[in-house]
Amino acid sequence: MKSNSLSYVEIEYDDQIVKMFIIATMVFAGVAFFAGLLAAVQLAYWPANMNLEWLSFGRLRPLHTNAAIFAFAGNAIFAGIYHSSQRLLKTRMFSDRLSRIHFWGWQLIILAAAITLPLGYSQSKEYAELEWPIDIAITVVWVIFAVNFFGTLARRRERHMYVALWFYIATIVTVAILHVVNSIEIPVSWLKSYPVYAGIQDALVQWWYGHNAVAFFLTTPFLGLMYYYLPKAANRPVYSYRLSIIHFWALVFIYIWAGPHHLLYTSLPDWAQTLGMIFSIMLWAPSWGGMINGLLTLRGSWHLLRTDPVIKFFVAAVTFYGMATFEGPLLSIKSVSALGHYTDWIIGHVHGGALGWNGFLTFAMLYYLVPRLWGTELHSKKLATFHFWVGFLGVLGYYLSMVVAGITQGLMWLAIDGQGRLVYPDFIETVVRIIPLYWVRAFSGGLFILGFLTMLYNLILTIRRAPKQQSRLVKVTSNMDTLLSSEEQKGHRGLEGLVPTFTVLTVLAVLAGSIIEIYPTLFLNNYVPKSSQLQPHTALELAGRDIYIREGCYVCHSQQIRPLPAEVLRYGAPSTIAESMYDRPFQWGSKRTGPDLARIGKKYPDLWHLRHMLDPREVTPNSIMPAYPWLLRKKTDFLSLRKKFSVLQNLGVPYSTEEVANADLQAVKDAKHLAKQLMDQGAPADLTEYEIVPLIAYLQSLGQKSKLEIPPLESPKGD
Amino acid sequence: MSDEKESLTDHEYDGIREFDNPLPTWWLWTFLITIGFSFIYFLHFFSGSAPTQIEELNTSLSTIKKQAKATNTKEKINSPDTEESMAQLLGQTTVVDLGREIFKARCVSCHGPELQGLIGPNLVDEYWLHGQGRWLDILTIVKAGVLEKGMPPWEAMLQADEIRAVVAFIVSQKGTHPKNPKAPQGEKIGNP
Ligand code: HEC
Ligand code: HEC
Repeated sequence: MKSNSLSYVEIEYDDQIVKMFIIATMVFAGVAFFAGLLAAVQLAYWPANMNLEWLSFGRLRPLHTNAAIFAFAGNAIFAGIYHSSQRLLKTRMFSDRLSRIHFWGWQLIILAAAITLPLGYSQSKEYAELEWPIDIAITVVWVIFAVNFFGTLARRRERHMYVALWFYIATIVTVAILHVVNSIEIPVSWLKSYPVYAGIQDALVQWWYGHNAVAFFLTTPFLGLMYYYLPKAANRPVYSYRLSIIHFWALVFIYIWAGPHHLLYTSLPDWAQTLGMIFSIMLWAPSWGGMINGLLTLRGSWHLLRTDPVIKFFVAAVTFYGMATFEGPLLSIKSVSALGHYTDWIIGHVHGGALGWNGFLTFAMLYYLVPRLWGTELHSKKLATFHFWVGFLGVLGYYLSMVVAGITQGLMWLAIDGQGRLVYPDFIETVVRIIPLYWVRAFSGGLFILGFLTMLYNLILTIRRAPKQQSRLVKVTSNMDTLLSSEEQKGHRGLEGLVPTFTVLTVLAVLAGSIIEIYPTLFLNNYVPKSSQLQPHTALELAGRDIYIREGCYVCHSQQIRPLPAEVLRYGAPSTIAESMYDRPFQWGSKRTGPDLARIGKKYPDLWHLRHMLDPREVTPNSIMPAYPWLLRKKTDFLSLRKKFSVLQNLGVPYSTEEVANADLQAVKDAKHLAKQLMDQGAPADLTEYEIVPLIAYLQSLGQKSKLEIPPLESPKGD
Repeated sequence: MSDEKESLTDHEYDGIREFDNPLPTWWLWTFLITIGFSFIYFLHFFSGSAPTQIEELNTSLSTIKKQAKATNTKEKINSPDTEESMAQLLGQTTVVDLGREIFKARCVSCHGPELQGLIGPNLVDEYWLHGQGRWLDILTIVKAGVLEKGMPPWEAMLQADEIRAVVAFIVSQKGTHPKNPKAPQGEKIGNP
């Protein structure tokens, strides 16, 4: 394969694998979008779950987020990376076999997710819900991808790496680190595990992961794709090479620190929250560096914006990226977070990014790639333009309705009147107020999907009229052996030719923030004073907790009371570190579609919960919470409790050996007692064996397990 | 592309070229200012001069309490509730109607649509768990609740007028005979 700079070799790029990933992208876009639409409709009209447990909101939402991130965006990234890397490196992928294993492995993982999530097998950590065997599969497939990618780099015919490749490298190494660290868990059975981290540690590791899944799965790879496809489509040079360098390194170094902005005003120590906030603010300019480099690349070809749908999609995508990355730092300011956190504003923010940036950039790439790969013209430019406009309206409608809903609800939650009382003490009032906006959101999502279906039709017709493929040989020359000028060997330019050094520096850049933030928190639980330590859950409560996790109650309910006056009036004293020190996984939640549950224990009689779980509207008219009738049909899994207790004991929860050995018996005994109590209050006889009993036991235990470090704050009654 | 004044770098990747433009000045300033702000905020925080979140909370709670005390005392002086003042409410249909609405929204889930008792006790029989069933007895229990038994305290949830109205509604229903009354709880007092 050696060739000097003058002679060329003829090679054929592996475009087949790109086509496979493109088709998978289109299929899973449909799955992700329709799951999202169904979830949106359920919040406006709960019976849309058809009373099927597999479709109830708590299980559907993880399916939607996983499909959107890993199936839709994931396949799109792989398509773009496999296509552009071969061309930027002037070589075929390292191994066709690894490419195929990567493709099929990834699709199998998606299939496994699509089966297990609706069945309720979930770790309840957002975007990391999949259970441990699937976690291992993800690791293996990711390593295969990495070997294939770095193998291709090793065989390149282009000495220097273009900026797109820097972003791909950052993606591959960082996602590997994030996934492995966040997924360290101890199996209880084939589809159940407990994380090694507890409470506050789990929260910090999870949001370090969750935030950087956005950074390194939905941002860096897409920036890489932008850097390749946008100048290609516009046929213009990139605006500034120097800006590429600065914003790349700044982004990679700063992003990783920002995770704690998901945990502002929680029991996470103030110093970690402060770091999360200031690094988010410093992230603004590096993010905008990418936007500027994208938009200014189009200088001189703005006329294309009128005529070329691909450019339309690019410009909108990059603009939405700029909007989302301005809003992100804004939401990380503590006082803004106090208003926006737990509300639909965050949902709006995410979808500005997901639909506007990831969605539109993917659509731009597909409209660019499909005709070229299949060797034909796009079936209809008009339809693509139509797609752009309905899609654009859809994103705008989605974003605006959710921002208004979020701010409205946030203000209602925080409102306190002159007598020191909540103006809207009844949570449901704040829900009913925003239901019209939930309809607007669902409608806007529908518009976005209409656009997507138009694209699907357009691209299928494009593919169908493609001519029979002949092999397409390209002539490439290698510059690997040419002598470099001394300037080419120095500084960043020199680094761009040194793959291992570049990769190591990237790893160091992301490890710095990670270690500084995570390491100290690993020991925080040790400092909880003995006097305020928690009683761990009883076996029955633990069984209930695992049902709470299975049903995805955490997607609508937080268990974390913030130190804000309105919050203390509504829910009680602020949550403490001690209160979640044995929580594996933590259940702090990130969204309050329903009220906080951290101190729900003993607030209502047992029978109230029974009736509420069977049909929330029985006790709270207009509630949008799903009904859970199957909890009275399904039998509690008492047998696994001994194993669960022993795993937790090994992880450091202070259960005695006797408690472990008798976990199941004790749970049955407690269940009998609670069932009897329920019956005395008027519930159906003999519920002992059914899941509703442990769930009620768990709910009644919330907030009742620990002596508070701070005395409960009395509410200002003024008597 | 001959009209370009900017200089291109000599890089070329698959036909993509790059300009050698400097960093946009306003961008660079934005970046530096956010770094400067963050640094100062960091010092402010880590030097210990910033209040902790719990300190902030306590400050705002005590402000709220002070304000509330001022308003509440004024109200108490203006209109202390008595058996007589409450009894007058029975004649005012708008008050009783308001009470009916509130009862429907807040109390039905536990006391039943006909006040016959469900999770909570029957409110139209002659038995009372708390007090003698007098105006002020009912008013007190509705305000304060019995948290450990599952009766929520309504003082923080409802306005003073609303609580009076719902109590008036309960009293107005005395002597009605629901179809499936809950078994009596508490002591037989009779109708005062
Ligand atoms: C679609 C979102 C959603 C899901 C999923 C959900 N809830 Fe709710 N929940 C709500 C809403 C809204 C309310 C407030 C209205 C009401 O009382 O029903 C609520 C209220 C509650 C309350 C009463 C809180 C209070 O202080 O009055 C409890 C307890 C509760 N939910 C438990 C659960 C449990 C347990 C699950 C999982 C099995 C669950 N919820 C799943 C939305 C949800
Ligand atoms: C979550 C269920 C629940 C709700 C909602 C509820 N109650 Fe109660 N209520 C109870 C329970 C339980 C008791 C009995 C307390 C006890 O055993 O001491 C009770 C007791 C009472 C009593 C005293 C009865 C007696 O025999 O002494 C009154 C009066 C009362 N409730 C009024 C109301 C009013 C008015 C509302 C609506 C504003 C309301 N309740 C809402 C559960 C509820």
